[in-house]
Amino acid sequence: MTLTLTVLTWALPLSSAIVPWTGVRARGIGIAVAAGGTGSLAAAIVLSVRIVAGGPFKLLDGFVYLDSLSAFFVVTVALVAALAGVGSYSYLRAAEDRGELSTLQVRLYGTFFSLFAALMLAALQTGNLGLLWVLIEASTLASAVLVALEARATSLEAAWKYIIISSFGVTIALVGTLFVYYSAILIHVSPDQRLTWPTLFAHASVLQSQSLRLAFLLVVVGYGTKVGLAPMHTWLPDAHSEAPSPASAMLSAALLNTGMYAIVRFEALTTPELGRYANDVLLIFGFASLLIGALFMIGCENFKRLFAYSSIEQMGLIAIGFGFGGVVGTYGALLLVLNHAIGKSVLFLTGGEVVHRYQTRNVGEVRGLLTLSPVTGLALLLGSLAILGSPPFGLFLSEFTIVRASFAGRASWLGFVLLALLVVAFMAFARTTTGMVFGARRDGAPSAAASYQRVSALPLVVGLALLLLLGIWIPTGLNELIMHSMRAIG
Amino acid sequence: MTPPTSADTILLNLASVLILLCAFACLGSKLFDRYLGYYALQSVLLSAAAAIVAADLRDAALWALAVLTLLIKGVGIPIATRRYLVTRLSLKRDAAITLGLSTSLIIGAGLTALAYFAMRPATLPGKLLDTAAVPLAMAVVLLGGLCMVVRRHTIAQLLGWLIVENGVFLGAITLVATFPFIVEAGIFLDLVAGVLIMVALVSGLAQRLATASASDLRSLRG
Repeated sequence: MTLTLTVLTWALPLSSAIVPWTGVRARGIGIAVAAGGTGSLAAAIVLSVRIVAGGPFKLLDGFVYLDSLSAFFVVTVALVAALAGVGSYSYLRAAEDRGELSTLQVRLYGTFFSLFAALMLAALQTGNLGLLWVLIEASTLASAVLVALEARATSLEAAWKYIIISSFGVTIALVGTLFVYYSAILIHVSPDQRLTWPTLFAHASVLQSQSLRLAFLLVVVGYGTKVGLAPMHTWLPDAHSEAPSPASAMLSAALLNTGMYAIVRFEALTTPELGRYANDVLLIFGFASLLIGALFMIGCENFKRLFAYSSIEQMGLIAIGFGFGGVVGTYGALLLVLNHAIGKSVLFLTGGEVVHRYQTRNVGEVRGLLTLSPVTGLALLLGSLAILGSPPFGLFLSEFTIVRASFAGRASWLGFVLLALLVVAFMAFARTTTGMVFGARRDGAPSAAASYQRVSALPLVVGLALLLLLGIWIPTGLNELIMHSMRAIG
Repeated sequence: MTPPTSADTILLNLASVLILLCAFACLGSKLFDRYLGYYALQSVLLSAAAAIVAADLRDAALWALAVLTLLIKGVGIPIATRRYLVTRLSLKRDAAITLGLSTSLIIGAGLTALAYFAMRPATLPGKLLDTAAVPLAMAVVLLGGLCMVVRRHTIAQLLGWLIVENGVFLGAITLVATFPFIVEAGIFLDLVAGVLIMVALVSGLAQRLATASASDLRSLRG
């Protein structure tokens, strides 16, 4: 049963990847993509309940390994795949109506979007660190096609930057994985097991500390490239702004989290031997990202880039949460992973609606969204407030928890730095988006009614409702899942 | 696993040194044909290194990897890249180098020294194979990275990444003999898929911009 669910979570999106080549049109492809994501989410939720109740699930020498931490990230990524999958439906229909995408492009979108989702979901469910690398690199390749999909000169440029920087970064992570493998040479198990996370975790206190130290640094630089940690973040704003909006949502809300998941796994391995070393590394990269993200948000002219810099900032915050560690920090970080994923999906999908209406990504040309389209305007306003951590949304609670962890840490002045950077980010972001939402509508601004408005509003409404719910009340099941996840990594 | 005999060690060290020299040759060259030639040569040497370790450990999976390396990296990728990119876009000299060749070679030498410093024996107690190959492999990784940074042309960057990948592979076979075979096979699959997508991207860029040099990719900023 658990095995079936495990397979379903990634096989459902994988099967949607074949649908585009059966001759169906954009509508059918859109439905397949949405169904794949939604089905995967349903399987992931049932799966996580079973994992929490029955403990880790291990198969094939640890090539398949699921504990609560994997289940938590699987639910997060599947949720994003479901929201962005429904968003893909309206994106594909609208693009077909306007003749923006050729049949081939629509098919490529359907295939690679589904493949992208399936690869990430599979990556979260393997205990083999080598296979984890293979799947994460494969997800880079699948998503690079999505970034290049609209085939403008700028999107090809962004895709090139993305694929070359990410592939290089992830190759560095492979070197890190190599050194982790090497650090386990004194453990007498089979070579396969030496690369398997549960085995390594069980023997974490006898790993060679010198090579482990090097390995973790390489892993953070490598997978940190995928997470968008500064200074390895340079591909991120380009790729996020040039990709089709549902794909941007997947990049920002699913891919970055998958990279973070990999880093957390490695962090857990280092703790017994190296103590706070990994935490300090994460704090340094986290604060650098928060700083870069917040500063580049000031005066950002392209709203999709703005959202991308906000992702860098939020990922930095998550790294800081794990960096402070302890019960409070880790809890806050995991909660933020989920909330940020939902919030960023909503924002990028809203951004897609705005691009669709105004045919621009320039902030200055978008004014009076609320009067033009109340649903989109309201979603942008509420989504912005949510992502900035205003109460009563879920991000407030998670960011507040991380700030609390920072003041409880060794150096409470870091807490003040954290707060100051968050305020900068808040002002830069809110100033831009409120201008877009309110502002005076210009003459001649496009007012074409969005097609498929009901479908495109669905993920926005669901996402915002979830954020609101998580801000007021954390469901018992989720709380338990997070608690179990924390126990799984020490 | 038994430590290799001294003859094997010498051969492996020799192969590793030559692999490093290929990376240096790439760094010091300006012609696209040469880049590809040095990369192909490096891959053939890499396959030889894998064969040496395979013969020593009598490991079938490593033999398979040696053959795969020869076919894919030594023959397949260089030929495909030459036919679909270099010849079709009639590329000759790489004009988009941001740093003088001699300067980049000096930096390369510095990076090699750094690799030796970072991989000194204290970092790697109880080595499986008693060779100098591990620091050499790390030097190849760093040199490949340097190629990517110094060169702005997309094809040169692609080759830089491939050199990095070769360095990692050399590190893998000398440091830990091998990853599990399924993982190695997956790495190969990723590599091939990556090269295919990159080649498609470069062709697309060349069509759109009438140039495939990353130095002209400057419209996305901020």
